Amino acid sequence: MIPEGTRFLLPPEARLKAEVMGRLQDLFWRHGYEPVELPALENYDPQHPLAERAFKLVDRTGEVLALRSEFTTLLAKLLRPHLGEGVYRFQYAGSLWLREADAELGRFREYTQVGLELLGATGPLADAEVLHLAFAALEALGVEGVVEVGLPSLVGEALRASGLPEEAQRAAQRAIHRKNLPELEELLSRYPVSPEVAKTLLALPDLYGEAEVLEEAKALPLPPRARQALVQLEKTLELLERPVLLDLGMARRYEYYSGIFFRAYTPGFGLPLLGGGRYDGALWPKAAGFALGVERLLEALKPPSTQEAPQVLALDLKALKRFAGEKRVELFYGEDPLAHARARGIPYLARGEEIWEVG
Amino acid sequence: MRRYLLTLALPKGRMFQEAYAALKAAGLDLPPVEDERALLHGREGGIALLELRNKDVPVYVDLGIAEVGVVGKDVLLDSGRDLYEPVDLGFGACRLSLIRRPGDTSPIRRIATKYPTFTARLLKERGWVADVVELSGNIELAAVTGLADAVVDVVQTGATLRAAGLVEVEVLAHSTARLIVNRQALKLKRSLLKPLIAKLRNRDRGP
Repeated sequence: MIPEGTRFLLPPEARLKAEVMGRLQDLFWRHGYEPVELPALENYDPQHPLAERAFKLVDRTGEVLALRSEFTTLLAKLLRPHLGEGVYRFQYAGSLWLREADAELGRFREYTQVGLELLGATGPLADAEVLHLAFAALEALGVEGVVEVGLPSLVGEALRASGLPEEAQRAAQRAIHRKNLPELEELLSRYPVSPEVAKTLLALPDLYGEAEVLEEAKALPLPPRARQALVQLEKTLELLERPVLLDLGMARRYEYYSGIFFRAYTPGFGLPLLGGGRYDGALWPKAAGFALGVERLLEALKPPSTQEAPQVLALDLKALKRFAGEKRVELFYGEDPLAHARARGIPYLARGEEIWEVG
Repeated sequence: MRRYLLTLALPKGRMFQEAYAALKAAGLDLPPVEDERALLHGREGGIALLELRNKDVPVYVDLGIAEVGVVGKDVLLDSGRDLYEPVDLGFGACRLSLIRRPGDTSPIRRIATKYPTFTARLLKERGWVADVVELSGNIELAAVTGLADAVVDVVQTGATLRAAGLVEVEVLAHSTARLIVNRQALKLKRSLLKPLIAKLRNRDRGP
Protein backbone atom coordinates (compact mmCIF):
# COMPACT_ATOMS: atom_id res chain seq x y z
CA MET A 1 0.00 0.00 0.00
CA ILE A 2 2.96 2.31 0.52
CA PRO A 3 6.24 1.96 -1.38
CA GLU A 4 9.37 0.45 0.11
CA GLY A 5 11.41 2.88 2.20
CA THR A 6 8.47 5.03 3.28
CA ARG A 7 6.79 4.95 6.64
CA PHE A 8 3.53 5.73 8.33
CA LEU A 9 3.45 6.84 11.94
CA LEU A 10 0.76 6.19 14.50
CA PRO A 11 0.57 7.32 18.11
CA PRO A 12 2.79 7.55 20.03
CA GLU A 13 5.49 7.77 17.33
CA ALA A 14 3.76 10.52 15.35
CA ARG A 15 3.46 12.63 18.49
CA LEU A 16 7.08 12.02 19.38
CA LYS A 17 8.19 13.05 15.88
CA ALA A 18 6.23 16.30 16.09
CA GLU A 19 7.71 16.96 19.51
CA VAL A 20 11.27 16.27 18.35
CA MET A 21 10.87 18.61 15.38
CA GLY A 22 9.18 21.26 17.52
CA ARG A 23 11.94 21.25 20.09
CA LEU A 24 14.65 21.61 17.46
CA GLN A 25 12.84 24.39 15.63
CA ASP A 26 12.27 26.23 18.89
CA LEU A 27 15.93 25.87 19.87
CA PHE A 28 17.13 27.24 16.54
CA TRP A 29 14.58 30.07 16.73
CA ARG A 30 15.89 31.08 20.14
CA HIS A 31 19.38 31.33 18.60
CA GLY A 32 18.22 33.68 15.87
CA TYR A 33 17.46 31.20 13.06
CA GLU A 34 14.39 32.22 11.02
CA PRO A 35 12.32 29.46 9.42
CA VAL A 36 12.12 29.23 5.63
CA GLU A 37 9.96 27.01 3.45
CA LEU A 38 10.95 25.46 0.15
CA PRO A 39 8.89 23.55 -2.41
CA ALA A 40 9.15 19.78 -2.54
CA LEU A 41 9.31 19.96 -6.34
CA GLU A 42 12.39 21.39 -8.00
CA ASN A 43 13.55 21.72 -11.58
CA TYR A 44 15.93 18.88 -12.29
CA ASP A 45 19.50 20.12 -12.43
CA PRO A 46 22.23 17.66 -13.44
CA GLN A 47 24.74 19.76 -11.43
CA HIS A 48 22.85 19.16 -8.19
CA PRO A 49 24.99 17.08 -5.77
CA LEU A 50 22.26 14.44 -5.40
CA ALA A 51 20.99 14.68 -8.99
CA GLU A 52 21.52 10.99 -9.70
CA ARG A 53 19.79 9.79 -6.58
CA ALA A 54 16.74 12.08 -6.64
CA PHE A 55 13.25 10.99 -7.70
CA LYS A 56 12.35 12.48 -11.07
CA LEU A 57 9.05 13.19 -12.69
CA VAL A 58 7.97 14.81 -15.93
CA ASP A 59 6.17 18.16 -15.85
CA ARG A 60 3.26 18.92 -18.20
CA THR A 61 5.70 20.97 -20.31
CA GLY A 62 7.85 17.86 -20.73
CA GLU A 63 10.57 19.23 -18.49
CA VAL A 64 12.06 17.00 -15.81
CA LEU A 65 11.35 17.81 -12.17
CA ALA A 66 13.08 16.39 -9.13
CA LEU A 67 11.68 15.76 -5.68
CA ARG A 68 13.62 17.67 -3.03
CA SER A 69 16.64 15.62 -1.91
CA GLU A 70 18.30 18.18 0.37
CA PHE A 71 17.64 21.79 1.37
CA THR A 72 20.97 23.61 1.18
CA THR A 73 21.49 23.80 -2.59
CA LEU A 74 18.06 25.16 -3.47
CA LEU A 75 18.02 27.52 -0.49
CA ALA A 76 21.31 29.06 -1.56
CA LYS A 77 20.16 29.39 -5.16
CA LEU A 78 16.88 31.04 -4.21
CA LEU A 79 18.45 33.46 -1.77
CA ARG A 80 21.43 34.55 -3.83
CA PRO A 81 19.69 37.41 -5.66
CA HIS A 82 17.94 38.69 -2.52
CA LEU A 83 20.55 38.91 0.20
CA GLY A 84 23.28 41.50 0.50
CA GLU A 85 26.27 41.68 2.80
CA GLY A 86 25.77 40.70 6.40
CA VAL A 87 25.00 37.65 8.47
CA TYR A 88 21.85 35.60 7.89
CA ARG A 89 20.49 32.69 9.85
CA PHE A 90 17.90 30.30 8.42
CA GLN A 91 16.33 27.06 9.57
CA TYR A 92 14.33 24.51 7.61
CA ALA A 93 12.33 21.37 8.32
CA GLY A 94 10.59 18.92 6.04
CA SER A 95 10.54 15.71 4.05
CA LEU A 96 13.18 14.66 1.55
CA TRP A 97 13.20 11.86 -0.99
CA LEU A 98 15.93 9.69 -2.42
CA ARG A 99 15.26 7.20 -5.19
CA GLU A 100 17.84 4.58 -4.46
CA ALA A 101 18.52 4.43 -0.72
CA ASP A 102 18.09 0.93 0.69
CA ALA A 103 15.25 0.58 3.11
CA GLU A 104 17.00 -0.62 6.22
CA LEU A 105 17.58 0.45 9.81
CA GLY A 106 17.27 4.25 9.87
CA ARG A 107 17.67 4.62 6.10
CA PHE A 108 14.58 5.58 4.15
CA ARG A 109 13.60 6.80 0.72
CA GLU A 110 11.29 9.35 2.29
CA TYR A 111 12.73 10.96 5.38
CA THR A 112 12.70 14.15 7.41
CA GLN A 113 15.37 16.68 8.28
CA VAL A 114 15.54 19.71 10.52
CA GLY A 115 18.54 21.89 9.87
CA LEU A 116 20.07 25.33 9.77
CA GLU A 117 22.38 27.51 7.68
CA LEU A 118 24.57 30.32 8.93
CA LEU A 119 25.35 32.56 5.95
CA GLY A 120 27.76 35.47 5.70
CA ALA A 121 30.10 34.53 8.54
CA THR A 122 33.23 32.40 8.57
CA GLY A 123 36.14 31.65 10.88
CA PRO A 124 36.48 29.98 14.27
CA LEU A 125 33.67 31.90 15.98
CA ALA A 126 31.12 31.02 13.29
CA ASP A 127 32.28 27.38 13.31
CA ALA A 128 31.96 27.30 17.09
CA GLU A 129 28.42 28.70 16.90
CA VAL A 130 27.32 25.97 14.51
CA LEU A 131 29.04 23.23 16.53
CA HIS A 132 27.52 24.57 19.72
CA LEU A 133 24.06 24.32 18.15
CA ALA A 134 24.74 20.71 17.16
CA PHE A 135 25.50 19.90 20.80
CA ALA A 136 22.50 21.94 21.98
CA ALA A 137 20.19 20.10 19.54
CA LEU A 138 21.18 16.71 20.97
CA GLU A 139 20.79 18.01 24.51
CA ALA A 140 17.37 19.48 23.77
CA LEU A 141 16.25 15.96 22.84
CA GLY A 142 18.00 14.20 25.69
CA VAL A 143 20.17 12.19 23.30
CA GLU A 144 23.50 11.05 24.62
CA GLY A 145 25.63 12.03 21.66
CA VAL A 146 29.25 12.39 20.68
CA VAL A 147 30.21 15.00 18.10
CA GLU A 148 33.02 14.13 15.75
CA VAL A 149 34.83 16.87 13.84
CA GLY A 150 36.91 16.35 10.74
CA LEU A 151 38.77 18.68 8.46
CA PRO A 152 38.26 17.64 4.82
CA SER A 153 40.14 20.76 3.75
CA LEU A 154 43.27 19.39 5.44
CA VAL A 155 43.10 16.19 3.38
CA GLY A 156 42.25 18.29 0.30
CA GLU A 157 45.22 20.62 0.72
CA ALA A 158 47.58 17.74 1.46
CA LEU A 159 46.44 15.97 -1.73
CA ARG A 160 46.59 19.11 -3.87
CA ALA A 161 50.12 19.83 -2.68
CA SER A 162 51.20 16.20 -3.18
CA GLY A 163 52.05 16.45 -6.87
CA LEU A 164 50.03 13.31 -7.58
CA PRO A 165 48.10 13.27 -10.86
CA GLU A 166 44.40 14.03 -10.44
CA GLU A 167 43.29 10.44 -10.96
CA ALA A 168 45.69 9.24 -8.23
CA GLN A 169 44.54 12.04 -5.92
CA ARG A 170 41.01 10.72 -6.17
CA ALA A 171 42.15 7.14 -5.56
CA ALA A 172 44.16 8.33 -2.55
CA GLN A 173 41.15 10.22 -1.22
CA ARG A 174 39.06 7.04 -1.46
CA ALA A 175 41.73 5.02 0.37
CA ILE A 176 42.05 7.67 3.11
CA HIS A 177 38.26 7.80 3.44
CA ARG A 178 38.22 4.04 4.14
CA LYS A 179 41.33 4.24 6.32
CA ASN A 180 42.74 1.66 3.95
CA LEU A 181 46.43 2.01 4.71
CA PRO A 182 47.63 -1.01 2.65
CA GLU A 183 45.92 0.37 -0.47
CA LEU A 184 47.27 3.88 0.14
CA GLU A 185 50.82 2.54 0.57
CA GLU A 186 50.55 0.54 -2.61
CA LEU A 187 49.20 3.57 -4.49
CA LEU A 188 51.95 5.94 -3.29
CA SER A 189 54.65 3.41 -4.16
CA ARG A 190 53.60 3.71 -7.80
CA TYR A 191 54.27 7.48 -7.99
CA PRO A 192 57.39 9.54 -7.38
CA VAL A 193 56.21 11.37 -4.24
CA SER A 194 58.57 13.04 -1.79
CA PRO A 195 59.10 11.38 1.62
CA GLU A 196 57.36 14.36 3.33
CA VAL A 197 54.25 13.97 1.20
CA ALA A 198 54.18 10.21 1.75
CA LYS A 199 54.61 10.67 5.50
CA THR A 200 51.72 13.15 5.72
CA LEU A 201 49.34 11.17 3.54
CA LEU A 202 50.07 7.88 5.31
CA ALA A 203 49.51 9.51 8.71
CA LEU A 204 46.09 10.94 7.81
CA PRO A 205 43.96 7.77 8.14
CA ASP A 206 45.06 7.22 11.74
CA LEU A 207 44.60 10.81 12.94
CA TYR A 208 41.48 10.09 14.95
CA GLY A 209 40.90 10.33 18.68
CA GLU A 210 40.88 13.24 21.12
CA ALA A 211 42.87 16.48 21.47
CA GLU A 212 46.23 14.65 21.14
CA VAL A 213 45.46 14.20 17.45
CA LEU A 214 45.90 17.94 16.86
CA GLU A 215 49.43 17.76 18.25
CA GLU A 216 50.24 14.73 16.10
CA ALA A 217 48.95 16.58 13.04
CA LYS A 218 50.97 19.72 13.81
CA ALA A 219 54.13 17.62 13.91
CA LEU A 220 53.61 16.58 10.27
CA PRO A 221 55.27 18.33 7.32
CA LEU A 222 52.02 19.95 6.16
CA PRO A 223 51.60 22.41 3.29
CA PRO A 224 50.96 26.01 4.55
CA ARG A 225 47.23 26.11 3.78
CA ALA A 226 46.65 22.81 5.56
CA ARG A 227 48.51 24.17 8.57
CA GLN A 228 46.31 27.26 8.45
CA ALA A 229 43.17 25.07 8.51
CA LEU A 230 44.54 23.23 11.53
CA VAL A 231 45.16 26.47 13.45
CA GLN A 232 41.60 27.59 12.71
CA LEU A 233 40.23 24.29 14.01
CA GLU A 234 42.25 24.63 17.21
CA LYS A 235 40.79 28.12 17.78
CA THR A 236 37.27 26.84 17.10
CA LEU A 237 37.64 24.12 19.71
CA GLU A 238 38.99 26.61 22.25
CA LEU A 239 35.90 28.77 21.74
CA LEU A 240 33.57 25.78 21.85
CA GLU A 241 34.89 24.68 25.26
CA ARG A 242 33.56 21.14 24.86
CA PRO A 243 35.34 17.89 24.14
CA VAL A 244 34.81 16.56 20.64
CA LEU A 245 36.13 13.52 18.84
CA LEU A 246 38.49 14.37 16.03
CA ASP A 247 39.10 12.57 12.77
CA LEU A 248 41.51 14.57 10.65
CA GLY A 249 41.49 11.80 8.06
CA MET A 250 37.86 12.49 7.22
CA ALA A 251 38.06 12.94 3.48
CA ARG A 252 34.43 13.25 2.53
CA ARG A 253 33.74 15.60 -0.41
CA TYR A 254 36.75 17.78 0.27
CA GLU A 255 36.14 19.80 -2.88
CA TYR A 256 32.81 20.92 -1.34
CA TYR A 257 33.66 21.32 2.36
CA SER A 258 36.12 24.17 2.73
CA GLY A 259 36.72 23.78 6.47
CA ILE A 260 35.24 21.56 9.12
CA PHE A 261 32.88 18.64 8.62
CA PHE A 262 31.10 17.09 11.58
CA ARG A 263 28.73 14.33 12.60
CA ALA A 264 27.15 13.12 15.81
CA TYR A 265 26.90 9.54 16.98
CA THR A 266 25.12 7.91 19.85
CA PRO A 267 26.32 4.67 21.45
CA GLY A 268 24.36 1.61 20.33
CA PHE A 269 23.10 3.15 17.07
CA GLY A 270 25.18 2.62 13.96
CA LEU A 271 24.36 5.69 11.85
CA PRO A 272 25.12 9.40 12.35
CA LEU A 273 22.25 11.46 13.80
CA LEU A 274 23.33 14.74 12.28
CA GLY A 275 25.87 16.00 9.80
CA GLY A 276 27.13 19.30 8.50
CA GLY A 277 30.11 21.51 7.90
CA ARG A 278 31.53 24.62 6.36
CA TYR A 279 31.25 25.08 2.61
CA ASP A 280 32.57 28.58 1.90
CA GLY A 281 32.59 29.32 -1.80
CA ALA A 282 30.60 26.24 -2.86
CA LEU A 283 27.12 27.82 -2.94
CA TRP A 284 27.66 30.97 -0.99
CA PRO A 285 30.86 32.95 -0.20
CA LYS A 286 30.69 32.17 3.53
CA ALA A 287 28.39 29.44 4.77
CA ALA A 288 28.10 26.64 7.29
CA GLY A 289 25.22 24.48 8.46
CA PHE A 290 24.02 21.08 9.52
CA ALA A 291 20.91 18.91 9.47
CA LEU A 292 19.50 16.30 11.82
CA GLY A 293 17.85 13.12 10.57
CA VAL A 294 14.53 12.97 12.38
CA GLU A 295 13.83 9.25 11.71
CA ARG A 296 17.25 8.35 13.08
CA LEU A 297 16.66 10.46 16.18
CA LEU A 298 13.37 8.64 16.72
CA GLU A 299 15.11 5.29 16.29
CA ALA A 300 17.82 6.30 18.78
CA LEU A 301 15.30 7.71 21.27
CA LYS A 302 13.32 4.42 21.29
CA PRO A 303 9.79 5.86 21.59
CA PRO A 304 7.60 4.93 24.55
CA SER A 305 5.33 2.02 23.71
CA THR A 306 2.18 3.42 25.29
CA GLN A 307 -0.15 6.21 24.25
CA GLU A 308 -0.20 9.08 26.66
CA ALA A 309 -3.53 9.43 28.53
CA PRO A 310 -5.22 12.86 28.69
CA GLN A 311 -5.39 14.79 31.96
CA VAL A 312 -9.14 15.34 31.98
CA LEU A 313 -12.05 13.19 30.84
CA ALA A 314 -14.88 15.55 29.80
CA LEU A 315 -18.40 14.23 30.26
CA ASP A 316 -20.02 16.88 28.05
CA LEU A 317 -19.08 19.27 25.24
CA LYS A 318 -19.19 22.23 27.62
CA ALA A 319 -16.44 20.75 29.80
CA LEU A 320 -14.36 19.98 26.71
CA LYS A 321 -14.60 23.64 25.61
CA ARG A 322 -14.04 24.94 29.12
CA PHE A 323 -10.86 22.98 29.98
CA ALA A 324 -9.11 22.27 26.66
CA GLY A 325 -7.42 25.68 26.85
CA GLU A 326 -5.37 24.72 29.88
CA LYS A 327 -5.17 20.91 29.93
CA ARG A 328 -5.28 17.92 27.59
CA VAL A 329 -8.94 16.94 27.53
CA GLU A 330 -10.79 14.10 25.85
CA LEU A 331 -14.55 13.84 25.42
CA PHE A 332 -16.02 10.60 26.82
CA TYR A 333 -18.30 8.24 24.87
CA GLY A 334 -19.74 5.26 26.71
CA GLU A 335 -21.33 3.99 29.86
CA ASP A 336 -18.93 4.11 32.81
CA PRO A 337 -16.64 7.18 32.80
CA LEU A 338 -15.12 6.41 36.21
CA ALA A 339 -14.00 2.92 35.25
CA HIS A 340 -12.65 4.28 31.93
CA ALA A 341 -10.67 7.05 33.68
CA ARG A 342 -9.22 4.59 36.19
CA ALA A 343 -8.29 2.06 33.51
CA ARG A 344 -6.38 4.65 31.48
CA GLY A 345 -4.97 6.57 34.44
CA ILE A 346 -6.81 9.83 33.71
CA PRO A 347 -6.60 11.94 36.91
CA TYR A 348 -9.65 14.26 36.47
CA LEU A 349 -13.29 14.13 35.42
CA ALA A 350 -15.21 17.25 34.33
CA ARG A 351 -18.81 18.19 33.60
CA GLY A 352 -19.75 21.74 32.60
CA GLU A 353 -17.78 24.13 34.80
CA GLU A 354 -17.07 21.46 37.42
CA ILE A 355 -13.87 19.42 37.66
CA TRP A 356 -13.03 16.77 40.25
CA GLU A 357 -10.32 14.24 40.95
CA VAL A 358 -10.89 10.58 40.17
CA GLY A 359 -10.96 8.83 43.54
CA MET B 1 18.61 -7.90 22.95
CA ARG B 2 21.90 -8.76 24.62
CA ARG B 3 24.71 -6.26 25.06
CA TYR B 4 28.30 -7.12 24.29
CA LEU B 5 31.62 -5.40 24.76
CA LEU B 6 32.29 -5.90 21.06
CA THR B 7 30.48 -7.83 18.33
CA LEU B 8 32.49 -9.39 15.50
CA ALA B 9 30.98 -10.55 12.22
CA LEU B 10 32.88 -13.42 10.61
CA PRO B 11 32.11 -15.45 7.49
CA LYS B 12 31.54 -19.13 8.16
CA GLY B 13 33.88 -21.76 6.82
CA ARG B 14 37.64 -21.63 6.47
CA MET B 15 37.93 -17.86 6.80
CA PHE B 16 36.22 -18.11 10.19
CA GLN B 17 39.04 -20.31 11.53
CA GLU B 18 41.77 -18.08 10.11
CA ALA B 19 40.14 -14.87 11.32
CA TYR B 20 39.58 -16.39 14.75
CA ALA B 21 43.27 -17.31 15.01
CA ALA B 22 44.46 -13.89 13.79
CA LEU B 23 42.22 -11.93 16.16
CA LYS B 24 43.11 -14.16 19.08
CA ALA B 25 46.81 -13.74 18.33
CA ALA B 26 46.27 -9.96 18.32
CA GLY B 27 45.14 -10.21 21.93
CA LEU B 28 41.34 -10.21 21.69
CA ASP B 29 39.67 -12.20 24.43
CA LEU B 30 37.54 -14.31 22.08
CA PRO B 31 34.90 -16.69 23.42
CA PRO B 32 35.47 -20.39 22.78
CA VAL B 33 33.47 -21.84 19.91
CA GLU B 34 31.83 -24.67 21.84
CA ASP B 35 28.66 -25.48 19.99
CA GLU B 36 29.39 -26.10 16.32
CA ARG B 37 25.81 -25.36 15.35
CA ALA B 38 25.46 -22.10 17.29
CA LEU B 39 25.54 -18.98 15.11
CA LEU B 40 26.30 -16.59 17.94
CA HIS B 41 29.14 -17.32 20.31
CA GLY B 42 29.94 -15.34 23.44
CA ARG B 43 28.66 -14.22 26.80
CA GLU B 44 26.93 -10.99 27.68
CA GLY B 45 29.44 -8.28 28.54
CA GLY B 46 32.21 -10.04 26.61
CA ILE B 47 33.07 -10.36 22.94
CA ALA B 48 30.44 -11.93 20.69
CA LEU B 49 31.10 -13.71 17.40
CA LEU B 50 28.48 -13.89 14.67
CA GLU B 51 28.83 -16.58 12.01
CA LEU B 52 27.39 -15.24 8.77
CA ARG B 53 27.27 -15.79 5.03
CA ASN B 54 30.21 -13.77 3.70
CA LYS B 55 27.96 -11.34 1.79
CA ASP B 56 26.13 -10.48 5.01
CA VAL B 57 29.26 -9.46 6.92
CA PRO B 58 29.45 -5.90 5.43
CA VAL B 59 25.70 -5.45 6.06
CA TYR B 60 26.00 -6.24 9.77
CA VAL B 61 29.03 -3.98 10.13
CA ASP B 62 27.61 -1.08 8.11
CA LEU B 63 24.42 -1.07 10.17
CA GLY B 64 26.39 -1.21 13.40
CA ILE B 65 24.98 -4.53 14.63
CA ALA B 66 28.58 -5.77 14.57
CA GLU B 67 31.35 -3.21 15.09
CA VAL B 68 34.07 -5.22 13.38
CA GLY B 69 34.11 -7.83 10.66
CA VAL B 70 36.45 -9.95 8.59
CA VAL B 71 35.59 -10.51 4.95
CA GLY B 72 37.24 -10.97 1.56
CA LYS B 73 38.00 -7.95 -0.61
CA ASP B 74 35.97 -9.66 -3.37
CA VAL B 75 32.84 -9.27 -1.23
CA LEU B 76 33.72 -5.65 -0.36
CA LEU B 77 34.18 -4.79 -4.04
CA ASP B 78 30.61 -5.89 -4.62
CA SER B 79 28.99 -4.56 -1.45
CA GLY B 80 29.20 -0.80 -2.09
CA ARG B 81 29.05 -0.09 1.64
CA ASP B 82 30.86 2.80 3.28
CA LEU B 83 33.14 1.06 5.79
CA TYR B 84 36.63 1.43 7.17
CA GLU B 85 39.01 -1.26 5.96
CA PRO B 86 42.19 -0.55 7.87
CA VAL B 87 43.98 -3.93 7.66
CA ASP B 88 44.82 -6.40 4.93
CA LEU B 89 44.91 -9.68 6.84
CA GLY B 90 46.65 -11.51 4.02
CA PHE B 91 44.90 -14.87 4.19
CA GLY B 92 42.05 -16.12 2.03
CA ALA B 93 43.84 -15.05 -1.16
CA CYS B 94 41.88 -15.47 -4.37
CA ARG B 95 41.16 -13.53 -7.54
CA LEU B 96 38.09 -12.35 -9.37
CA SER B 97 38.38 -13.41 -12.96
CA LEU B 98 36.62 -13.35 -16.27
CA ILE B 99 36.01 -16.95 -17.35
CA ARG B 100 34.92 -18.25 -20.74
CA ARG B 101 34.71 -21.37 -22.83
CA PRO B 102 38.07 -22.16 -24.49
CA GLY B 103 38.58 -20.27 -27.74
CA ASP B 104 35.38 -18.25 -27.35
CA THR B 105 36.09 -14.70 -28.54
CA SER B 106 32.55 -13.75 -29.54
CA PRO B 107 31.20 -10.53 -28.02
CA ILE B 108 29.88 -10.99 -24.48
CA ARG B 109 26.14 -10.50 -24.43
CA ARG B 110 25.26 -12.25 -21.19
CA ILE B 111 27.46 -12.59 -18.15
CA ALA B 112 26.69 -14.67 -15.06
CA THR B 113 28.07 -13.89 -11.61
CA LYS B 114 27.71 -13.87 -7.83
CA TYR B 115 29.08 -10.30 -7.95
CA PRO B 116 26.47 -8.24 -9.83
CA THR B 117 27.59 -4.76 -8.66
CA PHE B 118 31.24 -5.42 -9.42
CA THR B 119 30.32 -6.89 -12.82
CA ALA B 120 28.00 -4.01 -13.72
CA ARG B 121 30.82 -1.57 -12.90
CA LEU B 122 33.24 -3.56 -15.04
CA LEU B 123 30.84 -3.48 -17.99
CA LYS B 124 30.42 0.26 -17.62
CA GLU B 125 34.18 0.89 -17.45
CA ARG B 126 34.86 -1.27 -20.51
CA GLY B 127 31.88 0.05 -22.43
CA TRP B 128 30.54 -3.48 -22.94
CA VAL B 129 26.82 -3.91 -23.39
CA ALA B 130 25.70 -7.14 -21.72
CA ASP B 131 23.05 -8.43 -19.36
CA VAL B 132 24.17 -9.47 -15.92
CA VAL B 133 22.60 -12.68 -14.60
CA GLU B 134 22.93 -13.02 -10.85
CA LEU B 135 23.39 -16.60 -9.63
CA SER B 136 24.21 -17.89 -6.18
CA GLY B 137 26.44 -20.92 -6.69
CA ASN B 138 28.39 -23.13 -9.14
CA ILE B 139 28.66 -20.19 -11.50
CA GLU B 140 30.92 -22.03 -13.97
CA LEU B 141 27.89 -24.11 -15.00
CA ALA B 142 26.43 -20.97 -16.57
CA ALA B 143 29.31 -20.86 -19.05
CA VAL B 144 29.36 -24.64 -19.58
CA THR B 145 25.64 -24.81 -20.34
CA GLY B 146 25.46 -21.62 -22.40
CA LEU B 147 23.30 -19.72 -19.95
CA ALA B 148 25.93 -16.99 -20.30
CA ASP B 149 28.79 -16.18 -22.72
CA ALA B 150 31.11 -15.45 -19.81
CA VAL B 151 31.30 -15.67 -16.06
CA VAL B 152 32.84 -13.39 -13.43
CA ASP B 153 33.76 -15.52 -10.46
CA VAL B 154 36.24 -16.10 -7.73
CA VAL B 155 39.20 -18.36 -8.55
CA GLN B 156 41.52 -19.88 -5.96
CA THR B 157 43.64 -22.54 -7.62
CA GLY B 158 41.83 -22.84 -10.91
CA ALA B 159 41.22 -26.59 -10.41
CA THR B 160 37.41 -26.22 -10.53
CA LEU B 161 37.68 -24.29 -13.79
CA ARG B 162 39.93 -26.81 -15.43
CA ALA B 163 37.64 -29.63 -14.34
CA ALA B 164 34.73 -27.80 -15.97
CA GLY B 165 36.76 -27.29 -19.14
CA LEU B 166 36.79 -23.49 -18.91
CA VAL B 167 39.60 -20.94 -19.12
CA GLU B 168 40.49 -17.93 -17.03
CA VAL B 169 40.65 -15.16 -19.63
CA GLU B 170 41.57 -12.23 -17.40
CA VAL B 171 42.21 -11.50 -13.73
CA LEU B 172 39.99 -8.55 -12.79
CA ALA B 173 40.94 -8.09 -9.13
CA HIS B 174 42.99 -9.72 -6.41
CA SER B 175 41.42 -10.41 -3.05
CA THR B 176 42.51 -11.19 0.50
CA ALA B 177 40.69 -11.03 3.83
CA ARG B 178 40.22 -7.51 5.24
CA LEU B 179 39.39 -6.23 8.67
CA ILE B 180 36.39 -3.93 8.34
CA VAL B 181 35.13 -1.53 10.99
CA ASN B 182 31.89 0.42 11.38
CA ARG B 183 32.41 4.17 11.02
CA GLN B 184 30.94 5.13 14.38
CA ALA B 185 32.37 2.19 16.29
CA LEU B 186 35.96 2.95 15.31
CA LYS B 187 35.63 6.28 17.10
CA LEU B 188 33.41 5.29 20.01
CA LYS B 189 35.38 2.12 20.82
CA ARG B 190 38.77 3.44 19.75
CA SER B 191 40.47 2.48 23.03
CA LEU B 192 39.79 -1.13 22.08
CA LEU B 193 40.06 -0.89 18.31
CA LYS B 194 43.06 1.38 17.72
CA PRO B 195 45.49 -1.02 19.45
CA LEU B 196 43.84 -4.01 17.75
CA ILE B 197 44.38 -2.42 14.33
CA ALA B 198 47.98 -1.59 15.17
CA LYS B 199 48.68 -5.17 16.26
CA LEU B 200 47.05 -6.70 13.21
CA ARG B 201 49.00 -4.37 10.92
CA ASN B 202 52.29 -5.27 12.54
CA ARG B 203 51.41 -8.89 12.10
CA ASP B 204 51.21 -8.14 8.33
CA ARG B 205 54.71 -6.86 8.21
CA GLY B 206 56.04 -9.76 10.28
CA PRO B 207 58.53 -12.34 9.00
